[in-house]
Amino acid sequence: MSKLESSARTTIETKSNAQKLLQVKNLTKVFTKGQGLVRSTILAVNDVSFSLELDRPEIFTVAGESGSGKSTVAKLILGFEVPTSGIIQYKGEELSTLRGKKEFMKDVQPVFQNPFETFNPLKKVESYFHETQKNFGMSKKNGDVAERCLELVGLSFREISGKYPNEMSGGQLQRASIARALITNPSLLIVDEPVSMIDASLRMSVINLFKKFKEEQGVSIIYITHDLATAYYVSDRISIMLRGQIVEIGSVKKVLDQPLHPYTQLLKSSVPLPDPANRWTKEIALSDMEAKEYGQKGCKFSGRCPHVMEICRVREPDYFEVDERYVKCYLYESGSGQSAV
Amino acid sequence: MSILSVENLKAHYVTEKRRKITRVLAVDGVTFHINKNEIYGIAGESGCGKSTLLKAISGLIKPPLQVLEGEVKYHFDDRELDILALRGEKERREIRGARISHIPQGSMSVLNPVRRIRKSFEDIVGTHLGIRGGSEFEELVKSHIEALGLDWNVMHSFPHQLSGGMRQRITIALATILKPDVIFADEPTTALDVVVQRGVVQLIKKIKQEQQNTLVIVTHDLAIHANLCDRLAIMYAGRIVEEANVQDMFQTPKHPYTEMLLNSLPTLGDRSVRESAPGAPPSLVNPPSGCRFHPRCPKVMEKCRLEVPELIEVESGHQVACFLQEGRVYEQTRELGANYH
Repeated sequence: MSKLESSARTTIETKSNAQKLLQVKNLTKVFTKGQGLVRSTILAVNDVSFSLELDRPEIFTVAGESGSGKSTVAKLILGFEVPTSGIIQYKGEELSTLRGKKEFMKDVQPVFQNPFETFNPLKKVESYFHETQKNFGMSKKNGDVAERCLELVGLSFREISGKYPNEMSGGQLQRASIARALITNPSLLIVDEPVSMIDASLRMSVINLFKKFKEEQGVSIIYITHDLATAYYVSDRISIMLRGQIVEIGSVKKVLDQPLHPYTQLLKSSVPLPDPANRWTKEIALSDMEAKEYGQKGCKFSGRCPHVMEICRVREPDYFEVDERYVKCYLYESGSGQSAV
Repeated sequence: MSILSVENLKAHYVTEKRRKITRVLAVDGVTFHINKNEIYGIAGESGCGKSTLLKAISGLIKPPLQVLEGEVKYHFDDRELDILALRGEKERREIRGARISHIPQGSMSVLNPVRRIRKSFEDIVGTHLGIRGGSEFEELVKSHIEALGLDWNVMHSFPHQLSGGMRQRITIALATILKPDVIFADEPTTALDVVVQRGVVQLIKKIKQEQQNTLVIVTHDLAIHANLCDRLAIMYAGRIVEEANVQDMFQTPKHPYTEMLLNSLPTLGDRSVRESAPGAPPSLVNPPSGCRFHPRCPKVMEKCRLEVPELIEVESGHQVACFLQEGRVYEQTRELGANYH
């Protein structure tokens, strides 16, 4: 690792000395495929750093396309996967010592993408509420806690009692899944594509819940999604991932109103707008090289970037601080933001 | 001039178990006309019957799906065709592929995983044109796929070697190689990444321009409709509730359901609060009486619970099935009536 890289690593960390709820530093996960001579590796998460502050609840979005490593980041934080290198600290403690511990599981709860896969189809939905309460020693106040959490998501215990997952609609079931996560009164929710399986007319009811939890319950949320429109609507900060790396990170308004990294610009312009007067007019180049980008030397986007320079293909760019955010792109090397774009 | 006219189509799934007949009213009285050379969109949530409608109008009727009433007529340049009257599989096969074709959703389940892409092209070209291999085949396929921006080398690949976006482009190439008059696309961009999705939309537009065919796009994603379609129909619980050209639909929606759908869409650059409608889409086994939207409608009236509103034209080319609009048409007819006296 070059000197330059390590200096970049120090810059992306928040400068304030406030206590961290979650600190992720240089997180890397390598998956290996095959054995012996046909062994190949994929850098699913490549040197990812970010942090959430304690006592300042926020919704932090990790956005990216499929294969960008955003779900792997979630799995690493939840302790489902063991990082190859890098540090995850939760409230100042190493995740490796916390993994599997009740206190940690109680404090950090997940919500998954497909509610029909979250719940066992042969078990009643209510059993998950009983089990979570029992597992975390809350059975004395049985009923009360579940009822209160279900109320928060706009359901009642009566609505779910006795029902199997297939007897409920996707939206209801996803809200039940969120209510279950709230039973333990967590400080951090990790939600992985929570609305992509939900009907359009019900989507916002789930998204609005996250806003409400942040504001009323003080829960911090890591929102993992490919949908920039809902990310813009709900989150405070956003990080854009490309092939395992964060290419741009900062406040959601800054990053999505005036994206700086060429990849973020492409991503933003590819979001279809629900407005027939504002159609796509410019043609884009269709790439056939999606899979090759993992092994790309230098900047992962250099193969598709309209502003590509010699250096981009050779050496990986650092993070440069421009306009209250960090951008991993040589265009902003001077730090002025007055570059070619 | 309309190329496809559908009149009062009723297609239900009928199943019998222990002498108890269950009826899913998936398409329940649908009327619309598609003009030659236009892109017609059908939008609706999952379970509203939009895919069943597509099956019925393309003649893919297999038990338990039954067409109870209505007619589906194609008006091709050289002949009229009543697709519901076709009895033999041979007749249907002649129509499919050459006259009407289908771009399906899951490209992985369409392409045979153990055969090379070339074989799929050989199948379709061989069956319909009788060209089996040789230079004639290569010339035909090569000119087609190169026009779509695909490389000839993909022909020798297996489906799993290609990315999702590439596979979807190949299914589009397969569906359009015979230059069909009408193309049905069922969720053609769902499950694709945003950048790839934009590429696929671009490709569909290009094919339409070159081949001058009529396109029917079915998707739940209103932003895609806004980007692609000329006219748009909104389906709710087995019926069309509103139909208009796409500009009018987005600017002045008339049905409360359409209004609600459009209001719930988050947009980049706008963080104002969005709300979902209460409740969930109804089950089609036992749909609500009268207007099927009435249990969720904020403007519900007594009449809505009892009677089914008809699709009426309230402005030129803008049709709505809602009693709120009835007064307007009523006023117009009364004026007309007054002129007679």
